Parts: sequence; structure tokens; C-alpha cells
Amino acid sequence: MKRRQRRIKTKLAVIGAGLSGFSAAIFALKRGIKTTLLGHTGALAYTTGYLDLLGARRGRLLDDPWAGLAALREDEPEHPLARLGNDEIKDAFACFTAALRDMGIGYSMPGALNRMVLLPAGIRKPTLCVPDTMLAGMEAADRRAKTLILDFAGLAGFSAAEFKANFLTTWPAITVQKIQFPGMEHGQVFPEVMARALEVPSLYAELARRISPRLDGARYVGLPAILGMHAPDEVHAAMERLLGLPVFEIPTIPPAVPGIRLRELFERALPETGLELEPQLKVQRADLRPDGITLYLHGPMEDLEVESEAVILASGRFLSGGLKAGHETLSEPLLGLPLYQPGARKDWYRREYLDRRGHRINRAGVKTDTDLRPLGGDGAPVNTRLFAAGSLLAHQDWVRQRCGTGLAIATALRAVKSAQAILS
Amino acid sequence: MSAKSSAKSRLYETEVLIIGGGVTGAGVMRDLALRGIHCLLIDRCDLNAGASGGNHGLLHSGGRYASSDTRTAAECRHESELIKKLAPECVDDCGGMFVAVEGDDPDFAARFPGFCQAAGIICEALSPQEARAREPALSEKIIAAYAIPDAAIDPFRLVSQNVEHARRLTGSVFLPHMELEAFQIADGRISSALCRDRRSGAAVRIRARQIVNAAGAWAMNIARLARCEDVNLLYSKGTLIVSNTRLGRGVINRLRPPGDGDILVPGGTVSLLGTSSVTVEDPDRIRPGVDEVDRILAEGAAMLPGLEDARFIRAFCGVRPLIRASGAATDGRKAGRGFSLFDHEDQGLENFATIAGGKLTTFRAMAEKTGDLVARRLGNTSMCKTATTPLPSGDAVRMTEPGRAARDWYRRAEPDDLILCECEMVPQSAVDEIVGHAPGAEDHMSLQAIALRSRIGKGACQGAFCAHRVTSYLYDCGIYDSDNGMRLMRDFVAERYRGVRPVLWGRQLPQMELAEIMHCAMAGLDIAPDEAEQ
Amino acid sequence: MMEIAPERAEPVDFLTTARDLLPEGASYEACIACGLCASGCPASGLYGMDPRRFIRMAMLGLNEELAGTPWVWTCTQCKRCAYICPMGIDVSVLVGIARGGWPRDKKPKGIMRSCEAQMRDDSTSAMGLRSADFIEIIAETVDEIREGDKRFKNLTAPIDKAGAEFVVNQNSREPAVEPEELGPLWKIFDYVGVSWSYTSKGWAAENFCMFTGDETSWKEMVKTRVEAINALGAKTWINTECGHSFYTMWKGIERFGLEADFEAGNLISFYAKWIREGRLPVNSDWNRDNLKFTVQDPCQLVRKSIGDPVADDLRFVARKLVGEGNFVDMQPCRSANYCCGGGGGFLQAGMNEQRRAYGKRKFDQIIATKAQYVLTPCHNCHSQMSDIGGYYGGKYHVVHFWTLICLSLGILGPNERKYLGPELACL
Repeated sequence: MKRRQRRIKTKLAVIGAGLSGFSAAIFALKRGIKTTLLGHTGALAYTTGYLDLLGARRGRLLDDPWAGLAALREDEPEHPLARLGNDEIKDAFACFTAALRDMGIGYSMPGALNRMVLLPAGIRKPTLCVPDTMLAGMEAADRRAKTLILDFAGLAGFSAAEFKANFLTTWPAITVQKIQFPGMEHGQVFPEVMARALEVPSLYAELARRISPRLDGARYVGLPAILGMHAPDEVHAAMERLLGLPVFEIPTIPPAVPGIRLRELFERALPETGLELEPQLKVQRADLRPDGITLYLHGPMEDLEVESEAVILASGRFLSGGLKAGHETLSEPLLGLPLYQPGARKDWYRREYLDRRGHRINRAGVKTDTDLRPLGGDGAPVNTRLFAAGSLLAHQDWVRQRCGTGLAIATALRAVKSAQAILS
Repeated sequence: MSAKSSAKSRLYETEVLIIGGGVTGAGVMRDLALRGIHCLLIDRCDLNAGASGGNHGLLHSGGRYASSDTRTAAECRHESELIKKLAPECVDDCGGMFVAVEGDDPDFAARFPGFCQAAGIICEALSPQEARAREPALSEKIIAAYAIPDAAIDPFRLVSQNVEHARRLTGSVFLPHMELEAFQIADGRISSALCRDRRSGAAVRIRARQIVNAAGAWAMNIARLARCEDVNLLYSKGTLIVSNTRLGRGVINRLRPPGDGDILVPGGTVSLLGTSSVTVEDPDRIRPGVDEVDRILAEGAAMLPGLEDARFIRAFCGVRPLIRASGAATDGRKAGRGFSLFDHEDQGLENFATIAGGKLTTFRAMAEKTGDLVARRLGNTSMCKTATTPLPSGDAVRMTEPGRAARDWYRRAEPDDLILCECEMVPQSAVDEIVGHAPGAEDHMSLQAIALRSRIGKGACQGAFCAHRVTSYLYDCGIYDSDNGMRLMRDFVAERYRGVRPVLWGRQLPQMELAEIMHCAMAGLDIAPDEAEQ
Repeated sequence: MMEIAPERAEPVDFLTTARDLLPEGASYEACIACGLCASGCPASGLYGMDPRRFIRMAMLGLNEELAGTPWVWTCTQCKRCAYICPMGIDVSVLVGIARGGWPRDKKPKGIMRSCEAQMRDDSTSAMGLRSADFIEIIAETVDEIREGDKRFKNLTAPIDKAGAEFVVNQNSREPAVEPEELGPLWKIFDYVGVSWSYTSKGWAAENFCMFTGDETSWKEMVKTRVEAINALGAKTWINTECGHSFYTMWKGIERFGLEADFEAGNLISFYAKWIREGRLPVNSDWNRDNLKFTVQDPCQLVRKSIGDPVADDLRFVARKLVGEGNFVDMQPCRSANYCCGGGGGFLQAGMNEQRRAYGKRKFDQIIATKAQYVLTPCHNCHSQMSDIGGYYGGKYHVVHFWTLICLSLGILGPNERKYLGPELACL
């Protein structure tokens, strides 16, 4: 039996199903560009759900990300975000959060300042946009309000006692309770499973019944991020209604709900707005020509060819397979793009893990021109139809700089605009 | 006599103070306890913090030294046979092999059986086909192979069991994090050891009738605190790398004079490839380096080509304290592997002894010789019993065995016993057991201490996940109650990183990327309040 | 009688064995222990196991434990773990190895009996329906339809018709247990005017030998069918609305390197094609009460085989049938869909308690849609969702596509309505 062959013709092909790939699809569809998204989800599943623009620079936390960007343009002019204007970045955040809201997950709009949000172990960090389900946590912390923090028997890696202990001096009015999740009283429980179960109304009603007698005068209730997977805002609103109090979610360590929520939101909603999605298939090979780009993929039982006028490469870093590390050098495995190399292997990582300068390897990546076209060894664009976006770009350190989302979506917007200019 | 301590004065009294929680110190502790003597064992860090935790866990048949040092080789053979018999739980009697590949000296290979015979080591010639049938990972370019009775040993378990047995015998005590700062010396005797508890900062005085310096690479420094100038050590750093899975059935040695990358030793569920030898000036602040790792790997791949593509999860190193005879060579590889007992009587002290040099395999013999001296000085006439008394095991001291926690957990099938370390499948109950009963548990337990006494943090993720989960659990148990737990987690992952750093390429690098996301982006360890103040 | 391969004598080393079965470049060594697989697997927690633990235990060399855990019969090999794993690690390969290593007399009897029945003669029927009986039942049922509905007085269900465009494999359930359910599909073929045929040898579609982990028998099963189809010279092979029989065939042909002179087609995509071409003019006028419908994507057909294109076709057909506004998706769905717990032989394994625990997630998904009906083109999905609906007190019905297509076209016979609720059965 011959393997099935399938051919797709599209205007724009996006490689990579992470934050930058999906946001590129959102921006492109909004511009009426026929878009196909291919590739695998990598690090997206590990996000907290917060949308950072720029939260830290040189190991210092930033209140004002826009002032941070101005400084970044001075001393890191090659940083992908430093090459974009504030308006374009603001536009990317506004458009992206609006799209998320349209698709079903509410987020706060980008503001003038960062907001200090809660991390699982009881630390705060700056971010730009916050899921509606997590907003009340900041308010409770700012007000040092009497707050009940819940954790669940069987949920490893999230401890209300730990959260409380780390806020001991700045937010002493925390009480903690460990409760059993309805129907999951024994064994290990996963946030993902709890979140899905909470989409059934009888279940969140039962959960609220278990929480109510433990409130003891609390003004807020915080719990790990489990309030629904596909309709978190509805589940969140229902819990607030049933408890009569503001309720907030706290992100948890992977495997956690916020990342899965985003991935499934995109996979569900974007095809409805016209995205052609070939989920979780890796592009094996690409043929770059002056008049178009062909991508080759292998499904379980068919070979797929995607004929496109432009391609945005948003395949992520090492975790997502967008970059590979050999014994001596780093490479971009799909197209063999030359990378900014951070020296020999002994230079990739600093001597100390938490060195505030960050590791040099995190600065490695694809070099581009201002239109985000990857540059070849000769310093000229590899192909006029090829663009790159997101964390595989060189000269940034998204983890330490707390700029992952900003990097992903603002470069995706620039890449889409650049691609649009060359589409027929 | 038993140890007394009061919270106010922090004074301990004992018959024998032993300095150094490595295999030598632990061995001496048990040796003396078997003679009915009470001991206090201290370490500035914790058990196995030096070379005892930084070696490849090889129970030498003696084959490695057969060509260069017949006496050491014979001693290894004798001691390894005893340990296999008396402490079987600590030993993986997996057998071993010496192989030469194309390019190695065929002459040396041909003389190997003769060397072995001289030391009484059983050595069986294998054809290349037979060798590859036993070890399918071996290169096709083998020119000679011999089977020898090498084995693997778990040094963590060995030390824990020695300490635990001493506790049971005479109520002897181990105190971790106890740094020796000075000796009070009067009339040719050390009257007190002045120490500091490195965690609380409290000053601690220890009074003992006899003091044994078993501080390994730090033995020379300790001796000098007692104004003894007769201990002269050479520090030889050895680096090893740990694979993600077990790559060989038994021990595989390169059949040639010792060099880098010449041995692959099974560590239960993983394999350890080593060992380099670099002479260093200072036993503190040693780290495995990228260059060493590459050298080890390149050499190892000549025997085992699959190593090139294998995933390595960690590198680590230890310092071999070698006795420097006057005017001896400064090359650690060539220095002898024998041990020396210094009675320091010619230095004017009558209750101080230093046991230095030697090997993991010969620790019992070292302890015996030391025990004989100390017992005689105390007027104790008991004979050494370690050559005949089996080393008892126990629940709290067996958690370092690779795969053990997973097997136990699977067998018990208790769904509420949550797994905290998924890589090595270490459940809550194992942590409870360690916190309650492991040597050193008399004091406060931390993530670090639990990890040392189990497989936590030793699997593929190297602390990315388990650091969070164990920390959360310790908060839930009330063992942590302030931001101390966060600081300890930060120190733990920073320590793990030092070992991971030299093997960051290929498949371990995405794991590191995820770890950094979890430690920095999610836990904010790089922005935790006191971190930001630095 | 065909020869059944002897079982392996000693426990296998899972990692070594799996190495030869994984696609190039894939490796369990890449596992980063993140647990997305376990978090997203409905079998997690059963017998204390989950996909991550299975991999970790393989890495730790706990071969004996893996060889013995009954969890391998609760993992439906649905490959959702591989789908969501950033490294693409496929636990189902290890599970297949473990299943194959179980002693024959210890394997779940229900699956084994079905496989043994399939090996008994060249019908390949898991329900032990011999070819002669099959042919007789077909003939009788054709006669009944011809008599019962004048519009189908020339309806045929050909057997061994050389040169037919389609060769159809038939799930044994209909001819063996509910022959009246054969009718709707034949009527659809007749309505569209398709040239099709059954084969007399290897006519059955199901393959329980694959579920037992017995590769030799799996291969035999597929080989018998492939030879029968090749003999007729058909362009396309399809099967009835059944998930695993699609996967077992194309995967078996690929895995065992069999010569097949035909393409693997699937019925749903042909329904969609015929609707688009106007040959199957279905509409939703019958759904006057705006009953809500959801659809279950069979793992074997969608995630494990064709992927989202067939999920698109499923939804296209469903929306045409029930009306745009009356279709509600389960979440997650399509390639990310959860296995219902009926697949992989779980339904036949006799592990009801575990199977229902597994199915609870599917039940919650269905309830969250508030749909009164679940459509699915898979027999195992169908049975499992009916069972968990009854067990957990769901009020929904589970129906085949063919039933609704015929209902919509006004050609559904009165005896072909057993799966419809009363409000539709009376239409």
C-alpha cells in the first residue's frame, strides 16, 4: 500500500505550535491571510499563564517595562524587543489579549506598569497581563488581606504552608487548609484532571461546599490553578458566586493547567476562525526557493506537502526542538540556519547556576534583519520568504529577563507584517 | 561512658571523637563500637561529602593495581571478598572485565594474567566474541579481554550502615555540619575539640579521650590544627560522568596502564564513566570540568562506541588523598594507593591519630589498624570484629540503592504514598523514613540531607521537579516553617547544577532548559528577596 | 488452524526491545520527566501506574515489574501521551511489548478468546462467525430489506465481486448479533450508487490479536484480508464504522511489509465526499427539537491514523446531519481527544471497575457538552460510552452515523432504530 500523499497550498505557513506560532496565526488571520500552522507544542505547556513583557534587566526587577525597553535599546540594541517600537509591542499585547478574550479566556489589558503577581512557592514577580482568574491574588497580597490558601491532598508540588511561610513577613494574614478534591480522595491528583472535572457544574458546587466551612473570616480564597480548562472564567465566576468572595488561582509547577489551557484554546478556537492546523506534526524538511517554500511532514499514515508563499519559523529553543546542541556547537536542525554561537561548550553556561548575568547559551539563536528574516553566513537574508519569531531568536534571555510572551508575540507580529508585505 | 549534651553549653563527651564522615571515619566508628567503645563522629558537611561520595563505587578485585602495586592489589582482593560476604546489600556483584582495543599495547595485555596471578586474583581469558556476548556494548575492535571479580558498591549505603550499626552497638552519635576549629592541647594530650555548628553558628566543645583524624583530603589540615607536621598529602582530583541508563552489565576496565576514561562501573540503574586524574592544590572548591568530561568520553568511546550518543546527566569529582612520601612523584596516577596510620607520638601527642590515604575497597582494613591503636591506648583489649561480623542493613539506610525506592513502592502499591521524585520514584514514605531514622536524623533534616540519603535529585531531572515537590512536602510536614526551605532549595539546585554543567549537550540540555524555567521563571529562585539584595 | 507463536521465555529488556520499534530519531532517553503524559492520561492512577512511571521504570530497568503490571491492559494504546509529549515519546510501544510477553493463560480471557476465534478459520471473525454463516446472514438480511422497503427492491450486498470499486470489511457485531444494523450502510451505498463488495475470506474487520500483543497473529489476520482484497482488484478498501480495524490494517501492512494493491479509505471521509458532491443529500430538518449532538473522535482513526483531516470530515458530516447550531464539541477533541476507555481491548478485558474509572473522564466531557446524543464511527467507543452513560447515570444516547444519515434521508427502517432515543425512534 502506498503511503498517502497530501498537498496543501497556503499563503503563510507557521512552523511551531507555541506562543509565537499561535500568535503569528492570530495576527495573520486577522489580516485575512490564509494561514497554516504546523509543528509541535513544546514549552508552551510549561507556562504560568502570565504574559510578561519585560520583568527584569541585569537581575533587577522592573516596575516599568517601557522604561526597561528604553534602557534595553541602549545597552542591548540587538535584543529582538529592542528592535521593535513601543507602539508595535503594545499593539501586539492588545491584539493578543483581545483575541484570548474572544476565544474564551479573559486577561487584563496591557498597562503602563508591571503588576506583581504570585508564584507557586510564595514569591511575587512582575508581569504585564494577568488572567482574570489570577487577578484577585495581587489585590489580596497588596492589601495584606486575610486570605485562605488551599491545597489538595494528593497534589504533589504545591503546598499552601510553603506559600504562607514565604509570605510570613509581608503578608501574615494567610491561613491554610488542605482539602480533598471531590471524587479524587485517594492517590495522586493532577491539576489538569481537577480542572477538567470542574467543568461539570455539580462538581464545582461540591468543591465550594467543601471550602465554605473553612473560610473562617477570610476575605479572599486562593487555590492552585485548577478552575476549569476550557471555560475557566465561567468556573471562576461560579466559585466566587458560591463562596461569596473573590477567588484567585496560583500557578503550579508542570504539568500545570495554564499552559494546557492556552494550547487547547488555540487548538480549539483558531481552526474556527480559518486556521488550517496540522497539530503536533513536525516539519521534517523544507525546500526554499525564490518563488515559494515547500515544507514536508510525515503523519502517521501520510506524507504531507505544504506549498506556501511565506514561512514563519517559530520552532522554539532546545526544549521544543527548534535548536539542537551538539558536543561543540549549537544548530538549527530544520534549515541549518547559522546561529549566534555563545563560544565553545565550556562558555555556554556560567560557573554558578543563578549568576545574575544569565547563561550565555540563552543568548544563542537565529540572527535576523529588522524584518525578522534569518540571515545566512554572508549576512544577507537566507530567503526573502522566510521569517523567524519567538524564543529561537538570538540575543535575548527570556527566562531571566521575564520577557517570554513579549518576545513571542511582538516578534510574531513583526514577522507577520513583514510576510504580508511580500505576499501576492 | 555516654555522650552528654546540654542545649546551653553544647558540650559533648565521648570516648573517641572521629573527624570525617566518610567511609574511613564511619568504618573506624563501627570498628570501635564493636569493641564496646562509644564514639562521636563529626563532619563539617555530611556523610560521604568528600571522596567517599565522589568515586565510582568500584569494589576493586585488585586487577587495576595488579601491574603496578602487587601489595595493594592483593589487599583489594582480600578486602573485596570480605565485603561481598559481610555487606552483601551494599554490593552489586556484577563481575568485571579488562579489555584492550586496537592501538593498546598487546604486550601489556598478554602480561596481565601474570600480574593477576601474583596478587592472587582470578583472571579468565575471554575471546572477543565471548566478551561481547557478556557486554554487548563493547567495541568490535577488542584485541584482548579478561574476566575478573570486580564488583560495584554503594558507598552511601556502606557509610550509612556503618554509622547506623555503631549507633545500635554503643549509642555512638553522628553530628553533621560540625566544623572543627581548634584543639585545646595540654600536657601532650588534646583535651577538647572546639567546633562550630555550621547551621546554627553555635560553638560546640567536644571532650574525648582519643581523637581520630579520618578527614580524607582534609586530614593534613586537621593534623596541622593539632600541630602535627608529619601528614603530607597529595591531592588528586578524579572526575566521573553518570549516564541516564545503565550501559553495561558489569565493570568494564581498559586493559592498559591507568589513564583517563578507563573504566565504566554500573551504579545500579546508571553507569559511571571515569576517571580522570588531575593533581590539585586545594581539595576545596573542586569541580568537574568540560575538558575533563570530553577527554573521559572520548577515551571511553574507544571501548564502548555507544557512549558517543548516550545521555549523561551529571559529572562529579572527588579528591583522592594520596600519601606523599618524602621526595615522591607529584603525579597522582603514579603515587601509591596504600594507606598510613600516624600515631603522632613523635609529634608529642598521645591521644591523636590520623588515618590517611587508602581506598574505598580497603576501608575496613584501615579501620582495623586504627581501631587496634585506639583500643590499645584506651586499654580496651577487645579484638577487631569487622572481619567476621556481618554489617546489618535497615530501612532508613537502604534508600540510596538505585531502583530500590521504585521497587518497594511498586510492591506496596499504596496509592496515597505520593511519589515526590518521579525520575527515581522516591515516595513520601521514603522521605518520612529518612527524616525519622536515618543517621544524622537526630538533627534537623533538609532537602540536601534527604537527597544524600536517597536517590532524590539523582535522576534525569537533577532536581528540576523533585526539589519543588520535596520542599513542598517538608513545608507540609512542618520541617520547614519560614523562607529557609526556599533558600535550601536554591542551594540544592545550585549544587546540582555544578555537576550538570559539564554534560550539557544533546538530550540533557533541554532538561536543563526546563529546569531553568522551573527554578527561575516559576519559583523565582533568582529573584527571591535575599537573592535580590546580594 | 494457524500456528500461534510461542511466548517469550524470559522477561524482555524493554528499552532494548523498544529501540527497534521506535521511529528513527525517537528515544526514551529524551524523556524529561515532566509528566504531561501522566497528567493527560485517563489510565493514570489505575494499578498505581501512569505513562511517566512506565517510562521511568523502563529507564530504571524494572523489567520484571513492567512485564507483570496489569496496567498494560488498561492502557488502550491510544497514543495521547505521544501526542502531547514535547519529545514525542510513545509509551504505547512499551505497552505493546509488555502485552506480548504475558503468559497466554494470564492474558485477559475476553481478548484472548476473541483472538483465538479469529485464528480459527479464514473468516477472521472475532465472534466466531464462519464465512458460510456470514454469507447466509447477508443473503437473508438483503431479502428482508428488499421486501420491507420497495425503494430498495434492487439492493445488493455483493460478495467476492471482482472489479468492485470498494471492498468492505464488516465488523462481526452486526452479522453476528444485530443483522438489522447491516441495513443502513447498504442503503447508503445503494443510495449513492457505489460499486462495492464484501470478501468471503477475511471479511471481518476487527483484530483482537493486535490487542493481545501477539504480532504473529496480528500479521496473519491482516495478511488473510489483504490477499482477499488483492484478489478482487478493488481500488479502495474501507471498513464499517469501526476505529481499530482501520488502524490495524494500514499499520499491519506497513509494519509487516505486506503487498497491498489498494488504498486504505475510511467511511467517514466518503460520507463527507458524497455529501459535498450532492450524492448524499442529508439535511437536519428532522431535528425539529434542536437536539444537541456531540461527536467522539475514535483515537484509532483520528490521532493514530489520519489526524485532523478526518476529524474535520467527522464534524462536517455531523453538522450537516444535526444542524450547525446543534453540534457541540467535547473538549478537548480531534487529535487531542481522550480515549473513551473502550479501545485496546479494554472493553473485552473483563476489568470493568478500572474501565469505568478510566471512562469517567469521557463521561464528564460528554456531560459538560449537555448533548443528548453522542455520534461515533467506532464500535468500541459506542459500547463504552453507552456503558459509562448507564453506569454514571448519563441521559445521553450513542448512535452510529449511518443511523442518522438514513434517518435524515428518510430511509431508516423501523427495525434500524434501536440506538435512537424515543423522540427520534418515532420519527
